[in-house]
Amino acid sequence: MQYIFLTMLLILTGCSDTLVRVMPYEKEYFAQDKMKQSPLAERTEQQEHIFLIREASAGGNSSFQGGCGCR
Amino acid sequence: MKKIIILLTLVLSLYAGVGVGDKAIAFELTTLDGKKSFSMSDFKGEVILLNLWASWCGGCKKEMPEFFELQKEHKNGFKIVTVNIDKSCDDAQNFMSSVEEELSYKTPFISLYNPSKSLAKAYGARGMPSSYLIDKNGIVTAVMVGSLSHEDILELEIKIEKLK
Repeated sequence: MQYIFLTMLLILTGCSDTLVRVMPYEKEYFAQDKMKQSPLAERTEQQEHIFLIREASAGGNSSFQGGCGCR
Repeated sequence: MKKIIILLTLVLSLYAGVGVGDKAIAFELTTLDGKKSFSMSDFKGEVILLNLWASWCGGCKKEMPEFFELQKEHKNGFKIVTVNIDKSCDDAQNFMSSVEEELSYKTPFISLYNPSKSLAKAYGARGMPSSYLIDKNGIVTAVMVGSLSHEDILELEIKIEKLK
C-alpha cells in the first residue's frame, strides 16, 4: 500500500503546475523586449497566439500584454 | 482505498493557491526603500488589498494609478499593501517614481519588496498582477487575477465598504 501511495505521489508531483510550468511571477526574463518574436508589438501578439494554438502548449510567453504572463 | 483518496486530496491541496475563505498568509517584509518593516499583524482590524506586482508586468503598469486613487479616497480602515517581486529594487523604485510623477503625489500606500517571490509562491499567484482582498479578521474574501480596470475598482470599492 505504501508503495502505491509513494508512486502516486511521485506521479502527481510531476503533474504539478508549480514544477512543470514557468509561473507568472517567474517570467521576468520572458517579459524582456529581446524575448519577443517580432519587434512589432501587435505582430508579436498575433504570432504568439498562433504559436500557442499550433503547438498546443503553454510556453514561457503569453499573448497577454507583452509576453510577461500578465493578464 | 479511502485512505489513499484522503491522502491524495491532501497532496493536491498543497498545490492549490490561496482562495476565498482561506486565511491570509503571514509575512514580514521591508519597504521598497528598506527603511521600514511590516508584518501581517500590523494590519490587524483593517481591510487590506494585497497586490502582487512587478515593474516588467504590463498589467501592473495599467492598474497602479488606480490603486493610488483608491487609497486616496479610502483612508480609514482600509490599506493597500503592494508587494513587488522584481529582482532589482531600483526597477521597482523607478516604476513607482514614474507613477508618482504622472499623478503628482507621493505613494499613498505601503510598498513592500519581496525579491525571493516567496509571497507570490505561497499565494500560488495564477497571474501577474494578482490582488487579494482581506477582511478585518485576516480572511481572504476576494481573489482578483489580472489587472483591474476602472470598473473593477468601482466594484471593489463596494466590497471594501461592506467589509469596513
